[in-house]
Amino acid sequence: MARVSLSEWLARAENDRRFRENATAIRYIDASDGSFAPYPQWVNPLLQEVLTDRGITKLYSHQARAIEFVHQGRDIVLVTPTASGKTLCYNIPVLQRIIEEPETRAIYLFPTKALANDQMTEVHGLIRELKANIKTFTYDGDTPDDARQAIRKQGNVVVTNPDMLHAGILPHHTKWQKLFSNLKYVVVDELHTYRGVFGSHVTNVFRRLKRICRFYGQDPIFICCSATVANPKEHAENLLEKDIVLIDESGAPRSAKTFILYNPPVVNRELGIRQSAMTPARNMMNDLIGNRIQTIAFTTSRLNVEVLTKYLKDMFRGRIPDDHYVTGYRGGYLPNLRREIEKGLREKSIMGVVSTNALELGIDIGDLEACIMVGYPGTIASTWQQAGRAGRRTGESLAVLIAKSNPMDQFIVENPDYFFARSPEYCRVNPDNLLILLHHIKSAAFELPFEEGEMFGKEDLMELLAYLEEKGVLHRVDQRWHWAAENYPADEVSLRTISTENVVVVDTTDTGSHRVIAEVDWESAFTTLHDGAIYMMESQQYHVDLLDLERKKAYVKKVDVDYYTDAMNYTNVKVIDDFDKKIKNDIIIEHGEVQVTRKVVGYKKIKFYTSENVGYGDVDLPQRDMHTTSYWFTLPWDLLNALQLTRLDIVDGLAGLTYCLHHISAMLLMSDIRDVDWCIGDKSGEWYVRPGNNRRVITTSPTKPVSVMDNAYDPTVFIFDAYPGGIGFSENLFDRHDELIKAVRSVIASCPCEHGCPMCVGPLLEVGPSAKHSALKILDMMMGP
Amino acid sequence: MSLKDRLSRLVGDAATTGEAKADPRQATMRELRDRIDTLMRRRERIIPPNTPRASRDAVPLGVAVAGEEVRTPHGKFFMSRTILNADDVYGYRRVRDFACPSMPAAAFLTGHQAFTDMSIKDGLFLDTETTGLSGGTGTFPFLIGLGWFEEDSFITCQLFARDFSEEGAVLRYLSEMASGKEFLVTFNGKAYDINLLTTRFILNRSHDMLAGMPHIDLLHPSRRIFAHRLENARLSTIESHILGVRREGDVPGFEIPQRYFDWLRQNDGMFLKDVFEHNRLDIISMASLLKYLTDLVENSIEMENYHHGDLLKLALFLHERGDVERSLRMFESLIMSPLPDVATGARRPLSIIYKKMRRWDDAVKLWLTLAHADQHDIFAIEELAKFYEHQTRELEKAVEIVRGLLENRGHLNEIHCTSLEYRYKRLLYKASLKEK
Ligand SMILES: [Zn+2]
Repeated sequence: MARVSLSEWLARAENDRRFRENATAIRYIDASDGSFAPYPQWVNPLLQEVLTDRGITKLYSHQARAIEFVHQGRDIVLVTPTASGKTLCYNIPVLQRIIEEPETRAIYLFPTKALANDQMTEVHGLIRELKANIKTFTYDGDTPDDARQAIRKQGNVVVTNPDMLHAGILPHHTKWQKLFSNLKYVVVDELHTYRGVFGSHVTNVFRRLKRICRFYGQDPIFICCSATVANPKEHAENLLEKDIVLIDESGAPRSAKTFILYNPPVVNRELGIRQSAMTPARNMMNDLIGNRIQTIAFTTSRLNVEVLTKYLKDMFRGRIPDDHYVTGYRGGYLPNLRREIEKGLREKSIMGVVSTNALELGIDIGDLEACIMVGYPGTIASTWQQAGRAGRRTGESLAVLIAKSNPMDQFIVENPDYFFARSPEYCRVNPDNLLILLHHIKSAAFELPFEEGEMFGKEDLMELLAYLEEKGVLHRVDQRWHWAAENYPADEVSLRTISTENVVVVDTTDTGSHRVIAEVDWESAFTTLHDGAIYMMESQQYHVDLLDLERKKAYVKKVDVDYYTDAMNYTNVKVIDDFDKKIKNDIIIEHGEVQVTRKVVGYKKIKFYTSENVGYGDVDLPQRDMHTTSYWFTLPWDLLNALQLTRLDIVDGLAGLTYCLHHISAMLLMSDIRDVDWCIGDKSGEWYVRPGNNRRVITTSPTKPVSVMDNAYDPTVFIFDAYPGGIGFSENLFDRHDELIKAVRSVIASCPCEHGCPMCVGPLLEVGPSAKHSALKILDMMMGP
Repeated sequence: MSLKDRLSRLVGDAATTGEAKADPRQATMRELRDRIDTLMRRRERIIPPNTPRASRDAVPLGVAVAGEEVRTPHGKFFMSRTILNADDVYGYRRVRDFACPSMPAAAFLTGHQAFTDMSIKDGLFLDTETTGLSGGTGTFPFLIGLGWFEEDSFITCQLFARDFSEEGAVLRYLSEMASGKEFLVTFNGKAYDINLLTTRFILNRSHDMLAGMPHIDLLHPSRRIFAHRLENARLSTIESHILGVRREGDVPGFEIPQRYFDWLRQNDGMFLKDVFEHNRLDIISMASLLKYLTDLVENSIEMENYHHGDLLKLALFLHERGDVERSLRMFESLIMSPLPDVATGARRPLSIIYKKMRRWDDAVKLWLTLAHADQHDIFAIEELAKFYEHQTRELEKAVEIVRGLLENRGHLNEIHCTSLEYRYKRLLYKASLKEK
């Protein structure tokens, strides 16, 4: 059979009726010529020559604007697509300054190590060609001790990550005197990844960085790059607490691209089951690669990388002699193998690669023709970054997003306008979350004593210092607060995880040698490692004999059983303070501070494949209290009663609606689903919905289940920040209430299932048969006439 | 609502944040300390009369510690000065006995010739007590102990910052003292004390006198020479085993930061009495240790006064430093040691020195002795095999000696066996060529 080109392949696909039926959108993005500008006069001739030799005879317009602003001493944030030459926007000003003043220092910050390594290669190349004595070093956890001293003293450009800045550099700033005394630039790449809890920490790390710079008499310029989000300027200004110039018009030429949103066909209408996203992915990959169209696939898990790679290798075995014709690529592969794969891709000896998002962020693999995304990567920004891996300079390219069976994926493919229009994704940080702020005040005091009248964050610093003095970690003399404790505060908290505590899983199968097999974060331990739970790892089942919270250990034994366990949790929310309120169609919408109580009360044993309930167990774990911020809305009984549903149907409908709302909220917030949580109850915390043995029950207290609702209390749906003190999500959700409800309505209404499924209101067995129907009725009521 | 109330609400009763959960751990640590304290007291049967008690009235610093306030243009601080007279006894020695360490020997120990021409009178002994061991800018050296010789006496001078605000004055004073001296003597000062002081000079924006000064750090040579017979190379361990110093009621090092924090909060000088004494003894011990080490170098041939194992380690240390002449003489004496480990340990490096000097007869004698003493001495046998093969070209002898060892291979590890077998095959092949 003759091979087809990508455009022929596309034409064929569009004529295929079945393909057309499942493609919810096929959009053509035209090529554009790009706009250019000459090098500014001030660019050093040698630097210009080196760049010209690399084929860069002129700059893209955005590059010229960016370096001009930096030249004028302005802080910038650059928002341009993948492969639009953003690295030159910082490398030109930095190298230029170092050539002029050899003592100049710069810090390059990347969120991950892989990305940092990649950027090193690029800047090393430029320096080599410049034949200049400019030193660049990576400084991270892997840097050998004996190299560290040289890096501190000599590195012109120090490439590192926020975690290292936080725990390794700032607390030892005197060792970096040379760097801080000459620090002119701080480059912050992938700015949009610094959001939520991580971003709130990083904002405080920047506060500390600026404080140390002031001590050494420096005020460096920040050069930031971000993927497309709704609020890049605002986000950069929140993160850096400076005025930032936004540059968001790309002058880079663009090749034509076809972008397809694909929803796998429904295979069981009653249960609303769709074909696995892996099936169309496998078929498309096979077809494209078979036609020698170089293709990359992104999956959302490591396991799926391996599974899809195996499928493809099996398909090509015998047809192609080279075993590396298709290959996997993910974190965990050794660096040498990774380099080999990257080379194979550039040289086109590898025609297909399956990856997690390790490749998402910029490693040079040349110009691929097609990109298949198996599952929504979680944000629109990263979807475009992944799609950008195909078609950097080639004539035409293809990107396909295949939806999985969850509300987020379904919403995206079923609402193409949402996806293709201006980005709806906002980056949020709440650096003044008291716990986060307090932690960084401690670290800052360790770095330099605080002085009377100093500012740090938006809370009253003097009061916080007094609090720490009372706690005995600071000591005040002559209006200065000094660190007065033995410990090293930066080690107390990681920037990336919510809780610093982990529970260690100990395998005691072999009584002679106990073995640690995993670590589970504190929160998850309550639901996955309670006594009697079945803990799964690498397809092996373990029975949890004992969860010892005091010693932070769970003792497990290997077992082989035909069920898994699902913890029964209750969550109870009580309103402490409402910050703002609005009323829409008689629904009261609010946000404010709440007290959340969570407790695991028992678990269900669920049989594999049939999902039958085969037993229950009790769990006695302490309840956990937390104060945080929440968004909520209250539905008056008068309105609900008019819907002519039974009380149980109303509860099921609310539960279904909330399941979907939870997912859609996480999507809008660009957050992990675990960063926000939900609860249905009333504002007083008197009653709330919790799962019972067979169906959800409404109760007035954890000990006395009562399955009636009192008319005195109106049902309220809460979506809250799953972090003590809150991260600032709630206000955003409150502002976007209409948008949220509309999105939820659209997901549930367009779902092909009959009574509910994991793609809309949640698994049928958990939410009850009337959930979908009732949820839609409630939503219609909420949206009004 | 106040920030304080908000905070305590956030971290709540059963809260799961690091803040709240650090407490039980600290409690465990405290408990551990208490237990260790109790154990130590029971064992030594000494309850220092000056142990701080909570129920007592605070004792002024000047009463608890002999010393006085010093006022300078840059501020004030507290200083304690003591003099050890020439005839005072410290451990096994009198002060006058360690007042004159040989500077050429110090030069050998450090590998820096510059010390040869310096005088011990220009040396400044230095040791700090700090608020933590983690390092970083938040660690505060609140007590800087200094010491120096004046004639046959030893003076200690401890500069104490009564609170953080006195640090600037202390550092300026330290700089002045240091500028009257030529070099520093510390125990682990290169990695710790001087590094930390450099940080403090930067934080106080004052000139760092110390970083550029010549520096004898006693830790490295002590570890090399004594570690073979001590459980660790801490100054306190060396002091009690080598210098004969017995400290009574000494404050354990890990307790010192808390003593300072307690002092800050309660202004009770009794918290610090033991800390000053601990620091003062550390400084005197460094002076005694310097003398011990330089004596070892100076009198290295006089075997009767020193532990032969120490001498062997010293000889190896000097050999590594490239001081062939001195180490050769030491090894030549040490092979006569009645301690078999020492004699054997000296024969090997000595044989290598002879080999390099092409003193074949002497080298062979040593190898034969070694092989005779232990028929599995692979080092000696390989050297002999090489000698017969390349020097005397007696291939048969070489084959025989290697075969002898291979037949008794039970004691050899796999790597040795492989290398020996390889050598054996090569020798056989070479021998067969010769026969043809
Ligand atoms: Zn559905």
